[in-house]
Amino acid sequence: MAIYVLRKLAFFVGAVFVASLAIFLLIRAAGGNVAAIVLGKDATAEAINALAHTYGLDKPLPVQYFDWLFGMLQGQLGQSFRTKEFVADLVTDRLSISIPLALSGLILGLIIAIPVGTYAARNVGKPSGAVLALLSQIGIAVPVFWAGILLSVLFGVRLGWLPTGGWIDWSESPIGAIRSLVLPVLSLGLIMGSVLIRYVRSAVLDVMNQDYVRTARAVGMTRTQALLSVGLRNAALPIVTIVGLQIAELIGGTVIIEMVFSLPGLSRMILANVAAREVIVVQSTVMLIIIFVIFVNFVVDLLYGILDPRIRNAA
Amino acid sequence: MTAAPGAPAIEVKNLVVTNGDVTAVRGVSFAIPPGGRMGLVGESGSGKSMTALALMGLLPMGWRTHGEVLHDGVDLAKLSDKALSSRRGRTLSMVFQDPLSSLNPVRRVGDQISWVIRHHTGADRKTAEAQTLELMRSMNLPRPENLVRSYPHEISGGQRQRIMIAMALACYPQLIIADEPTTALDVTVQKQVLRLLNGAVAERNSALLMITHDLPIIAAMCDTVAVMYAGRIVEMGPVQEVFRHPRHHYTRGLLDSQPTMDNIALDGTSRLVSIPGMVPPLHALPTGCAFNPRCLAATDKCRTDMPELGGGTSLQAACWHPIARADEVAAQ
Amino acid sequence: MTIAAPTVIIEPKRRRRLDLNASLVVGLVLTVGFLAVALVSFVWLPSNPNIPVIKNRMLPPFLPDHWLGTDGLGRDIIAQLMVGARTSILVGAGGASIALILGTITGLVAAAYGKIADETISRGADIMLSIPGMVTALVLAATMGSGALTTILALSAFFTPSFTRVIRAAALGVLQEDFITSAKLYGRGKLFILARHVIPNIGGVMIVQFTLYFAAGILTEAGLSYLGVGVTRPSISWGMMLNEAQQTVGISSPLAIWPGLAIVFVVLGLNLLGDGLRDVLDPKLKRRSA
Repeated sequence: MAIYVLRKLAFFVGAVFVASLAIFLLIRAAGGNVAAIVLGKDATAEAINALAHTYGLDKPLPVQYFDWLFGMLQGQLGQSFRTKEFVADLVTDRLSISIPLALSGLILGLIIAIPVGTYAARNVGKPSGAVLALLSQIGIAVPVFWAGILLSVLFGVRLGWLPTGGWIDWSESPIGAIRSLVLPVLSLGLIMGSVLIRYVRSAVLDVMNQDYVRTARAVGMTRTQALLSVGLRNAALPIVTIVGLQIAELIGGTVIIEMVFSLPGLSRMILANVAAREVIVVQSTVMLIIIFVIFVNFVVDLLYGILDPRIRNAA
Repeated sequence: MTAAPGAPAIEVKNLVVTNGDVTAVRGVSFAIPPGGRMGLVGESGSGKSMTALALMGLLPMGWRTHGEVLHDGVDLAKLSDKALSSRRGRTLSMVFQDPLSSLNPVRRVGDQISWVIRHHTGADRKTAEAQTLELMRSMNLPRPENLVRSYPHEISGGQRQRIMIAMALACYPQLIIADEPTTALDVTVQKQVLRLLNGAVAERNSALLMITHDLPIIAAMCDTVAVMYAGRIVEMGPVQEVFRHPRHHYTRGLLDSQPTMDNIALDGTSRLVSIPGMVPPLHALPTGCAFNPRCLAATDKCRTDMPELGGGTSLQAACWHPIARADEVAAQ
Repeated sequence: MTIAAPTVIIEPKRRRRLDLNASLVVGLVLTVGFLAVALVSFVWLPSNPNIPVIKNRMLPPFLPDHWLGTDGLGRDIIAQLMVGARTSILVGAGGASIALILGTITGLVAAAYGKIADETISRGADIMLSIPGMVTALVLAATMGSGALTTILALSAFFTPSFTRVIRAAALGVLQEDFITSAKLYGRGKLFILARHVIPNIGGVMIVQFTLYFAAGILTEAGLSYLGVGVTRPSISWGMMLNEAQQTVGISSPLAIWPGLAIVFVVLGLNLLGDGLRDVLDPKLKRRSA
């Protein structure tokens, strides 16, 4: 287990490093002359150079990269050019929206997918199994933002039960905040659930075809007992892996849902800052998101190692 | 409902196993008396494993059973999965070929055995654990107190198979089916495990159905033997009789192709005889006797009429021209 | 005793009956329908999808001239849907194609050119897969400007690592086969083996993956256009239509339905097609007890 953890940790560190490089190059390469764009068309050459110098934009790229990277490691995420606000502050506010949204969406997705996927696996070949397979196929084809729009039309416009958008902060009214999150989480969860159903079903089917399930039945377990007691426990391994793989998708979904429901989360901030050419803000924010995803994958790997005694007890 | 005392441990009547396209078992009948030992021998594709799975009700999806399987006073073929599951592990059980893939990789081996005991006898955890240790000791497993807490991947193949046997025998079943129990093990370990199985089965007076392609094992452990070819039993009888005086040409071919000290000369030449041709695929069987394309004694009748066990000129073999015994030939 | 002539063996049933499973058929129908609509749009449209006709704004559906009604500026919905289909094909297929090519090259290199290449490429793909595609697409699109080309590039970057993994796995499988060993013994070069033996054998996998990522591309493009960073007028995208529809949702809900339905049908069709093809092209795996 120790070696396994070290290996995964090494990957985590390496991945963050490589990703940071990729993001830096991407943003800088595509960005053009940042200072010029920030100041606009009528800026003088001197003003541009001055701005560039203040923010270190005139240093050679590798130097800028390392400055940024080491700054990040120390918790300095940079500042906005225009407002001078610290990225760290800007981000923490948004996180109180984006993280509950993302996590709840994932949990809802799992709550839907695990029972339904297991049921579909149990009934493969029967009509109920086919119906479920079709439903999950349809769910995958539904764009998450359309689900959001439809739900907001139904529950917001037609029935008036929930807000169609906007955000009431936790500090103002926790109930209000929750109400603002219900439809977004529902949209995200339904779509994530549909995506996960296929994987859960596939994982459970694979496990049910294994010899040890046959042995379980041979010593007296009924099909259902074998499924729940042996099958699910063993299917937990691939399911955990799949969840890890889906985190990137989850972020994507969160980003869009925030826009559908006008939630002032990370995505709106990124979009606004990208439009304003705030390279440093965008760099750092995107990097944070990526670190989050890679970190979650690291945690997933650890979890997998704990669940599988073949890794946990490795000599 | 239990069977009358003296009733066979299992009686199979006209078992047919099919999935609609292919018929893997084409009318198999046999009976094993209580405590009796029968060997089921045949090559891959002969239907022997499917027969075993059919008895247990563990056929893969899409396969159906026809015929009767009488055991413990009921017809297993007619039972629901739930009713069957109450018998599996208790009155009849099975040991599979590959113990590594057949044991739950995420559960300790001791727990897997105690589950069987708790489930069928209702014993509490402590009693079951004690019985598990005792069982493991009787299986000659070293240091059972430690082994109990191991996972399958942490122990050797021979130990794993003994765990499987322990699980199968824990509740003193009337019949235990062993499907190639030692084929996946190292040769040096095979004998130990077989000896152990032999003893454990005898101790419990369980009946044994030993499925294997390895003839010497049958010779050593079984009373009767049934030879399967292309889904049917082509010869059946007492082990000594069938092996010394085989009636069916396939059996003769099998026996001849076994390497013994006689036909492997130490100078490198060998007189191993093999049966010409190949086992026919189950979806393209020849008409009449399935063995006829490979049989040196085949006649037109063999190609058109299907011989039955005992229906032809021999009680023992399903053949139109069974091999005559030397003393019979002399008598003619 | 003479040896009799061998019996005639019954001919085995034709095993390669084309498994026309439902998934494949339905998927094919939907996909062909979608492609047909896009093609037709080049030749005929009910009316101009871009010119506002204010007097016709917000017409309800099922009218003779505008079967699905009009949008907030009086533009016909069906016309917009048809032109939107073109965008979906262009961007979806474009992104998937580039990803296929890049993914195949990297996947084959990883599979056939030694451990170091394999490790580097595989780890690289893993890392890239950790980067949420939507985020990079946003950044790319917004720094390089929106539009079909940027979206295609973003999609290609986003999808390539998945292709790399799949192609690598498939190629590894083929490279284990015996006929590869004999080709090597024959003296065939690596490139030859890859081109002549490996690629034809992984063709099925390539087609299936392309189909599935075509679908994913359409979904992602819709999302990006919805956010305003995909295609913009005068190009039309279903995602963009949904964005416009959301603004008038208080007045007329149906507008929000049609483009969404279009997306669902097309993506569903392609996914079903991909799954159906996968069932046909992969050998049937033996199934065990249910």
